[in-house]
Amino acid sequence: MEVKQAAVAAVIKINMKKYITFYSIVLLLVSGHIMAQEEEPTEYKKRVLESVEVNLLSSYYTQDGENAAVTGGRGTEELTDIAPSINISIPLNDDDVLTVDATVSAYTSASSSNIDPFDGPQPADPFVASSGASEQDTWFGLTANYAHSSDDRNTIISGNVSFANEYDYSSIGFGGSITKLFNEKNTELQLNVNAYFDSWRPQYPIEFREGFNLSDYSFSGNPNFSSNYTEFQDESRNSYSIGVSLSQILSKSIQTAFIGDVVLQNGLLSTPHQRVYFGDFEDTMVENFTLGNDIERLPDTRTKIALGNRTNFYLNQNFILRTYYRFYTDDWGIDSHTFKAELPIKLGLNYTFYPMYRYYTQTAANDFGEYNTIVSTQEFYTSDYDLAEYDAHQYGIGFKYYDPLNKLNIGGFGLKSINLEYNYYERTTQNFNANITSLSFNFVAN
Amino acid sequence: MIKTLTKLTLISFFFMSCVAVKEYEKININDPDMRLSERDLDKYKSTFQSYREAAAGANGGKTGGGCGCN
Repeated sequence: MEVKQAAVAAVIKINMKKYITFYSIVLLLVSGHIMAQEEEPTEYKKRVLESVEVNLLSSYYTQDGENAAVTGGRGTEELTDIAPSINISIPLNDDDVLTVDATVSAYTSASSSNIDPFDGPQPADPFVASSGASEQDTWFGLTANYAHSSDDRNTIISGNVSFANEYDYSSIGFGGSITKLFNEKNTELQLNVNAYFDSWRPQYPIEFREGFNLSDYSFSGNPNFSSNYTEFQDESRNSYSIGVSLSQILSKSIQTAFIGDVVLQNGLLSTPHQRVYFGDFEDTMVENFTLGNDIERLPDTRTKIALGNRTNFYLNQNFILRTYYRFYTDDWGIDSHTFKAELPIKLGLNYTFYPMYRYYTQTAANDFGEYNTIVSTQEFYTSDYDLAEYDAHQYGIGFKYYDPLNKLNIGGFGLKSINLEYNYYERTTQNFNANITSLSFNFVAN
Repeated sequence: MIKTLTKLTLISFFFMSCVAVKEYEKININDPDMRLSERDLDKYKSTFQSYREAAAGANGGKTGGGCGCN
């Protein structure tokens, strides 16, 4: 009996040792894990962008007017433009997002066609489009932006590079920005810088080009019509900008942003195919077309300052008011004010309808002169009515379908939103108007 | 111009002293239509305006360069 009890006690002792050893190991592992957690705290970090987003956009733009700069401020401004665009945002990891934007803009311009008004079948006329090569062009632009957010999401650093090209113009640009959020993300301060290095391949009006011989045409008036004309020597245009914006949440329903930009430009700031007619020169007519006396000549430097404010009000669950104001001034003598208001109206959870209005006014550039009023002894001159004094009104309506759950699935991408807009633009002091219709589809990868 | 900038700076500092709205109170502020930036489609309007108007900048978009525009 004593032997049996001793055997049982020995077994229990052995098992106890096993249990103690096992629980000791478990305890060590658990405590080690807890200590490891204490040493390297792992905080949940939300991805800046959860998945790939693709935005397909397109616009159709038409304009008409009778103050074309190509024909010295008198002539058709008829133009149509179709511009499809794709914008892709790719999350590279939790913190970094790469965004690529590509746009093609294909346009047909009556005024550009009159760079050479004699290459069409009809008599040359500033109010009739010619049908030559300069009637159409395609602009292509590509921009890539890389943004990095800090772990606490209070600092965002980004860099961008851009390229654009059309028949007579190329551009390469670089930029970057730093954004700091503080005050519990109620305040956001951003500093950005950009530089563009552009170059012209000037397409001078036909009467200024080598090979143009007035005696080949039946003309009336002054045979020595272009005594001021010389080609531009510098065909580059550089633009440097620095911008600051300060955003502030003012209450649970109001937020505002102050934006300031300073831009310095130098180089060829004139547009080489825009004619000027001198009031002190006798006109030279070929068919119904007056030959230019010179091309526009503008200073080779320009400093622009723009100050803006954007304030949004959440009025209630059905109405939001978005407002924008900008003051602009430059050393060419132009001052401008822009005011814009938009009233998104929520129609249920998924639909928003937003009427909008924009008012724009500017003073004329110092060197602007109306058609045939410029004096040939002036140093600088232009008859580009985009640099004239005028007021403009823009009326628009927009419709947006927004589905935060992306329920409609197309090829692995969920439809997040559809946006359709129409805007009508008109100048009150010039006979100029424009229409623009634009559409976008925003998809998110599932 | 300097006076305007000074005023804007002072106003900005005033706003920075406001009581902070907590994250859980930002449901209205986070509405997509409350974003303090232009809509995606606004880039088309900004482009034609940069050709047809002398003013540019202070809208979060292009400020000059990159096109044969004003």
